[in-house]
Amino acid sequence: MHIPDNFIPLWQSAIYWVIALIFIALALRWARNELDDEKVPLIAVLAAGIFAIQAFNLPVGMGTTGHLVGGALAAIVLGSPYAAVFVLTLVLLVQAVVFGDGGITTMGANIINMGVIGGFVGFYSYQGILKYAKNPYLSAGIAAWLACFIPALAASVEMALAGTYPLVEGMIAMGVYHAAIGVIEAVITAGAIYLIASARPELMQSSLGATA
Amino acid sequence: METNQFVAIGLVVAILIGVTAVFFAAGDPDGLESTAIVILGEKDLFGPTPEDADPEAVGHEGSFEYEAPMPDYSMGEEGGKMGEVIAVVVGIILALLIVFGVGKAVAASKH
Repeated sequence: MHIPDNFIPLWQSAIYWVIALIFIALALRWARNELDDEKVPLIAVLAAGIFAIQAFNLPVGMGTTGHLVGGALAAIVLGSPYAAVFVLTLVLLVQAVVFGDGGITTMGANIINMGVIGGFVGFYSYQGILKYAKNPYLSAGIAAWLACFIPALAASVEMALAGTYPLVEGMIAMGVYHAAIGVIEAVITAGAIYLIASARPELMQSSLGATA
Repeated sequence: METNQFVAIGLVVAILIGVTAVFFAAGDPDGLESTAIVILGEKDLFGPTPEDADPEAVGHEGSFEYEAPMPDYSMGEEGGKMGEVIAVVVGIILALLIVFGVGKAVAASKH
């Protein structure tokens, strides 16, 4: 879902960067309040894991591959959408600067899609679904699917505003491909949360609630 | 589980996933690139992607272009699979270190 440099005109890229910087500032405030010497290594290794799952181009058929985003995973494990913004911003920075995956000018848009929208959709849909589903892993899976699908639709709207994709055609193709990719995202997110909750239950007490 | 142990196991798992990704990953373009190829009329929505399809062709001319040191998670054509393994491991460790460094700096700033 990483948007390359030439897919968005510079002036529009600048607007996305300004919006992204506001959320980065809020994410840094979250980090200052929440992170301590005990939690910093845990969030760092979570970022390493998210980098690894993003590197995996999984076949989803239709001549397309998908890689996971990890926004829902970070937000649910750390109990805040700003955790996803914090981790995804730094992961996207490494990907763009070192590996040319996603543009430099379009990094603001990529942070908004995968970090901000992915993180907020993942976190709040998890909270909402958990109330009814009562199962943290099922809830996390559905939230992760939404946190892959909705940012993809947002990206297709940005592409339409940029004049790169026509709106309807872009939304159909992005929607279809990421609905398929989201299924893998859902399974891996639920599995990763199960493993992390088994290894460090206290890390996830706030997000799993009494049902875990 | 102790923090050090959790971090060590987590890093090993991340590297295993990353290295596996190099050997098992599919070569087709991702969702955004596939969409670009569909938009260009070179691919049906559900059809295969042609070998020579260039998703970047949908982009705007005269825009900024950045040259990354390890483009597409590789060390270039001659780097081969080993180059890709190095690239993905470098990326995993960089992601770990940068989040650790920024996290430490931000956590220390509250005093």
